Amino acid sequence: MPSWFIKGLFSPVKTTRFPKQPETAPGAVPGRPVATDFTSPEQAAHAAAQCPTGAIRAGHISADVNLNQCIYCQRCARTEPPMAWKADYTWARRLRANNLTPQPFRKSLHIRIVDTGSCDAVIQEIKQLSKPYYNMHKLGFFITPTPRHADVLMVTGPLTHHMRLALKKTYDAMPEPKWVIAVGGCALSGCVFSRGFTSAGTVLESLPVDVEVPGCPPPPMAILYGLMLLAGRVGEMPSAKPTIMEKA
Amino acid sequence: MNLHSNSAVGSATNERKSLASLLPNVTLTEPANLAAATIAAANLPSVTAELVKDFAYRAATLVVRSYEKTFTLDYWFYSIDGSPWLRLRVELPEGIRELPSISEQAHAIDWHERYAEDLFGLTFTGHPKLGDFVLHEEWPEGANPMLSDFDASALLIDKEVDPQWQPEKILQTSGAFVMPIGPVYSDYAESAQFFLETVGEDVVRMIPRLHFKYRGIEKHAEGQAFDRAVLMAERFSGSSAVAHATALCQAAEMAVHVDVPPRAQAIRLVAAELERFRHHLAILSDICHSTGMIVPSADVDILEEDALRLSARWAGHRYLYGLICPGGVSRDFSAGEMAALQSGIEEFSRRADRLRRHLEITSSFLDRFEGVGVVPLANARKLGLVGPIARASAWATDLRIYRPYGFYGVAAGIGSPPLEAMESEGDGYARIRVLFSELFTATEWMRRAIKHLPDGPIHKALPDSDGEAIGYVEAPKGAAIHFLELSAGRVKRWQITSPSFVNWHGFHLAAENFAFQDFPIMMASFGLSIAESDR
Amino acid sequence: MNTPEIIFAAALAFCLAGALVSAWAPSQWAGRILAIFGTTAATLLLTGAAAVIVSHTSVSLTLWRLPILGRLRLDVDGISAFFMLALAMSFLPACLFSDGYMRRYIGHYDPRAFNIFFHLLLGVCIILLSAGDVITFLLSWRIMSALATFPITLEHRVNEHRRAGYLFLAMNEAGIITATFGLLWMAALAGGHIGFSALHAALVGTSPTVRWTLFLVIFFGFAVKAGLLPVSSWLPRAHPVAPANMSAILSGCLLNFGIYGIVRFDAVILPPISAGPGLLVLTVGSISALVGILYAAIDNDMKKMLAHSSTENLGIVTANIGMGMVFTAYHLPMLAAIAYVVAMYHMINHSAYKTLLFLGAGAVDQHAGTRHMNQLGGLIKRMPLIAALFLVGALAIAAIPPLNGFASEWLTLQTILRSEDFAPRFSRVVFGLCGAGLALTAALAVTCFVKAFAMSFLGKPRSTAAASAAKPARSAAAAMAFLAAACVVLGLGVTWMIPAINSAMRPLTHDLAAQALNPPFFNNATARHPLPAAFEKSFTQLGARIGAGVIPGRGLVVMHRGGSANPVVYAMSTFYMAGVLAIIIFVTWLGVRLLTRRRRVIVGEQWAGGLRRLSPDMTYSATGFSNPIRVIFKSIFAPAIRENSAVAVAGHFRTAITQERDDGYIVDRLFLRPLTATASLLSRALARLHRPAVVNAYAAWVLLALLLMLIINRIW
Repeated sequence: MPSWFIKGLFSPVKTTRFPKQPETAPGAVPGRPVATDFTSPEQAAHAAAQCPTGAIRAGHISADVNLNQCIYCQRCARTEPPMAWKADYTWARRLRANNLTPQPFRKSLHIRIVDTGSCDAVIQEIKQLSKPYYNMHKLGFFITPTPRHADVLMVTGPLTHHMRLALKKTYDAMPEPKWVIAVGGCALSGCVFSRGFTSAGTVLESLPVDVEVPGCPPPPMAILYGLMLLAGRVGEMPSAKPTIMEKA
Repeated sequence: MNLHSNSAVGSATNERKSLASLLPNVTLTEPANLAAATIAAANLPSVTAELVKDFAYRAATLVVRSYEKTFTLDYWFYSIDGSPWLRLRVELPEGIRELPSISEQAHAIDWHERYAEDLFGLTFTGHPKLGDFVLHEEWPEGANPMLSDFDASALLIDKEVDPQWQPEKILQTSGAFVMPIGPVYSDYAESAQFFLETVGEDVVRMIPRLHFKYRGIEKHAEGQAFDRAVLMAERFSGSSAVAHATALCQAAEMAVHVDVPPRAQAIRLVAAELERFRHHLAILSDICHSTGMIVPSADVDILEEDALRLSARWAGHRYLYGLICPGGVSRDFSAGEMAALQSGIEEFSRRADRLRRHLEITSSFLDRFEGVGVVPLANARKLGLVGPIARASAWATDLRIYRPYGFYGVAAGIGSPPLEAMESEGDGYARIRVLFSELFTATEWMRRAIKHLPDGPIHKALPDSDGEAIGYVEAPKGAAIHFLELSAGRVKRWQITSPSFVNWHGFHLAAENFAFQDFPIMMASFGLSIAESDR
Repeated sequence: MNTPEIIFAAALAFCLAGALVSAWAPSQWAGRILAIFGTTAATLLLTGAAAVIVSHTSVSLTLWRLPILGRLRLDVDGISAFFMLALAMSFLPACLFSDGYMRRYIGHYDPRAFNIFFHLLLGVCIILLSAGDVITFLLSWRIMSALATFPITLEHRVNEHRRAGYLFLAMNEAGIITATFGLLWMAALAGGHIGFSALHAALVGTSPTVRWTLFLVIFFGFAVKAGLLPVSSWLPRAHPVAPANMSAILSGCLLNFGIYGIVRFDAVILPPISAGPGLLVLTVGSISALVGILYAAIDNDMKKMLAHSSTENLGIVTANIGMGMVFTAYHLPMLAAIAYVVAMYHMINHSAYKTLLFLGAGAVDQHAGTRHMNQLGGLIKRMPLIAALFLVGALAIAAIPPLNGFASEWLTLQTILRSEDFAPRFSRVVFGLCGAGLALTAALAVTCFVKAFAMSFLGKPRSTAAASAAKPARSAAAAMAFLAAACVVLGLGVTWMIPAINSAMRPLTHDLAAQALNPPFFNNATARHPLPAAFEKSFTQLGARIGAGVIPGRGLVVMHRGGSANPVVYAMSTFYMAGVLAIIIFVTWLGVRLLTRRRRVIVGEQWAGGLRRLSPDMTYSATGFSNPIRVIFKSIFAPAIRENSAVAVAGHFRTAITQERDDGYIVDRLFLRPLTATASLLSRALARLHRPAVVNAYAAWVLLALLLMLIINRIW
């Protein structure tokens, strides 16, 4: 046992310096497709045609991306000419007015996660938040097992038929005031999981979502950024807003 | 090398002959190494009993198809001794929806039958537990989603649930009570429900209630371009994306008779082993967390995130999405990229080994796992367990070795093939040792594939033709078997048999008479995924 | 005739009148008649007994003279009066309770018969306690035992009830025969004297061996009635089958008669001259207490649980008596006095709370349809008043301050620690072991009654009957309220109770207990009686003077050794504790109230992990609660686990696990069953001796017997 203690004592600090410094470690984020200018309408149409989920919309000689629908298949990055990719993580968006007081909110926020049918990779990425590299506890975010103690409901997944009741019960069990953060493309647009008998509508349509974090799966930095955005401790990046807004 | 596959295996020479004696109309397709026979429903139990007992066949999956009001049921069997895959077909005439259950003879089919009962409205006579499996209490009566006339895009109207509804309870003892867990429970748990039945102190039985995350992807994929099914295969269980995408692509490639270029196969191997490496680290991280040991947890966590970052640097995505594509892989790698990957993995492997040695002398860690959640060999065999869990109980299952696919056959031929990690105690600690050993065998597979990486194209287009086939891989959690039927390049029927589905079945039957405080530890040491099981 | 005599006579008259009226009145009136006549008789008895104790007089009445046997007499001394007090305290609410309770039997069984026997039982009990000689005592004892059997088996059509009734009768009969033998032998030794006081005087010089034998015979005879180990098998069977008012009486008074017998004959008439008998009594009491509470803790039938708990409490009483006997033998009269006083104090406390709890269990049984704790739950919403009163009883029996159970159990444990005052090592070891056993008993009692209250009254109802329980009658609440008040008064009034018991039990205490426990200088700690300097010195920290100044009266129980150096051995005050508790509760309430004044409370559904419905069998059951005890003491319970695997396993599937567990009663296992087996073996052998239809053999046996008699006669 003491050997573990000593090991822990002499292990270097791995935690990200975010938000004081941006995280730049290679591989921490997969990046994302961003609006791209092409030289001809055909090229734009070609790039848009690569997208299996219709997240890329061709303009005249440019193409724009609705990140909510992007599933990170990277087909648009591997075609010729490719869509531009940007290696950032500041793509979370706020959907409702910020009502946390005081602003910025530096006290702790407790989070209850509800998985409504997401893949295990999303859960794995959220788990990373409490692990050494990201350590969200340092920034005052904590996971709680009961909604009674939760301020924030973090929802992932396309909201399956069987999870509707559980999600509603969880949301109702939370005390006021409460906030909702939807994580992952499937919670925002259903992603590859179609609407129908298994899913009557996404999280975005079922709960008053405060902050949305697209991604498939969204990397931990993006989720962390989303949480900081909810607390009003970082500003929203203008580039996060697509010029063509399209709701599925 | 294989210590335990000797049970009642006939010698290879008289194998075919005796199979023909059992199944008179058996046909053999040579390149696919597939034996197929059609039998009457009534004979099913007796034939299965013999297949399991005398031929050492293992039940792989049950594929039900329903077109034009008739049902075709394909029972797939495989063995690890080189005999062909076996498909037993039962055809139900119009109007008949009943056939005998074989889960008494091949217990691994138990949940497949329940699945078919819920989704197809079939009845398996003799099965003691049907209903409330995939479809829960609020699902409307008579809505069987996998039937061909069911409209997948229509929204479902819940039926009125009895206000006195309560889940099944099997412990009939005065004073017995149930501890309900979930579907929303714990910190980061996936949604699933568990009912721990107890009369106080020890838990007598644990009953899981899964499929809260049922997304019906097999139904939704029907009629879609095959291409899109691959995206679904990657995303229904992101932590095994490469494995499932590869299995599905292999099924398609076999169905339309396309040979994947060797370079693509080798890259697929590297990706699969990288995924396995990262996946096992995640399981080990959960295991360390379940004991509340901070420093080892942090150590594995760092290793896991490093592996994720290495994956993203190598293939552009932390979970390797978008790499596998029908007919090959979607991008090529330079020698430098491969070398960077290898050196990274070699370093992780060394760090993991140091961690393993440190954990093995930490008694407070071992105390929590030794003798906890024991699955004896007999149970592993009976339940048809797969993957590291089965191997911890000395039940040989590694498809990479016994039924080599893709580049594994070549890689195994380079020197002696990497040993299958095997332990015999079947407890939590045995599973941990298997997981650690597989980190090192994964490294070895990768090393060989990278060293002998063939040149050539990485992709071959698939024609839009018809066909059906089984594709299988050894996913990180065990054998993943995808059945695919294509019609003009579109998915006609897709059936996923995931290792988690098989192992959850085993887990709940193996989890008897345990102490309540061991429950999280057992869960962690099994390392099962709900997303992979619920699909 | 002076006043108490008239009161006793009136009580007897009411009993008789009640029995007569019951015989003629329609059965619907049964409960009401019992409530009127029985309650009146009990009230009269209560007054009379109190008068005797307070006035320090004894009432005696010479009846007629029997040829050969001598004069029969009734003699109510302090000891009798004290037991009458307990009797009346238990009978009064039990009769009152009957008003609503007896309704449940109308149409099924005849409550009139119950009524007649119940009234007569009270009358006989009064005569039994006032008996002044061996013959009256034995006669009324026998009648009492027979009478008690009928109310127990009111539901005589149920096989189990009949069996329980027979067992009760048979075991008590064994006790009576043994006691009769012992008492008549005693009378013989005393040269034919049958009056109690004469016996005492005549037996002073008997030899130790005879005393030992007499002691054993009498102790066994009365231990049956007191429900002590190993003759307690009837207790957990008879209590659950009897109607609630009868079980209350069984536990609240009839068990006390066993104690009465032991006290009267083994302690007063035949005071111990060696430590042996006392140590035996102490050991039997401690083991009874421990085994009783163990079985109470795991039993889920409310009444059966209470029955086992009676074994426990009577065990504690007996242990105290044993200590008294040991102290007497070691010539430590003050400690002996304390032990006897504590024994009596615990006994009357037990009468109060056990009657209360049995009546509560009866109310639950009547209105929720079951008394099985696994099927109850949530009753606090259906019967809040009954729940509150039951809680008082549960707290009292679990020895939670400031209630009466705490007062007497605390004194018991303190008394057992006084074994340091005498020398012999063996006795000290016995005291130490018994003390440990009693301490464990006290701890287990808390578990037991937390379970009893929580599983019956809190949580979710586990059956539809419990969910739709009816509102109990007012008479039930009134009866229970009387007893709850008694528990509080007996608890807070320790310092009044001790002198009262002390003077009532004068033949045993010689007025020494009150001196030690309530030193006069402290009782009236005013300017007239200044505190002794030594006492004040060692006691300033505890605020004795402040307490004395604030509370005008006796608040503190102090063991005061006398002498100079640190004379105070221990000190306790339920009165002060109650005060402090009240202040703490009030301040907490006030604090919470102030802090949460602005807070809005929203009542929502219980959080159950998003589960559709939290069903009743998803809450902790009584079996689950007590399972740790079952696991730890497995060797005592020796459970038989039946697993019906035919249903459980269908091939590989487990569709149902039926696992039933029967906890064997250790007394049956080690005592009753071997005994009955031997008895039946003997009787079979004897039966074989006289085969039917062999006249010659009969003649031979008769001849042989005659010869034997002649020889014996000749030798003597």
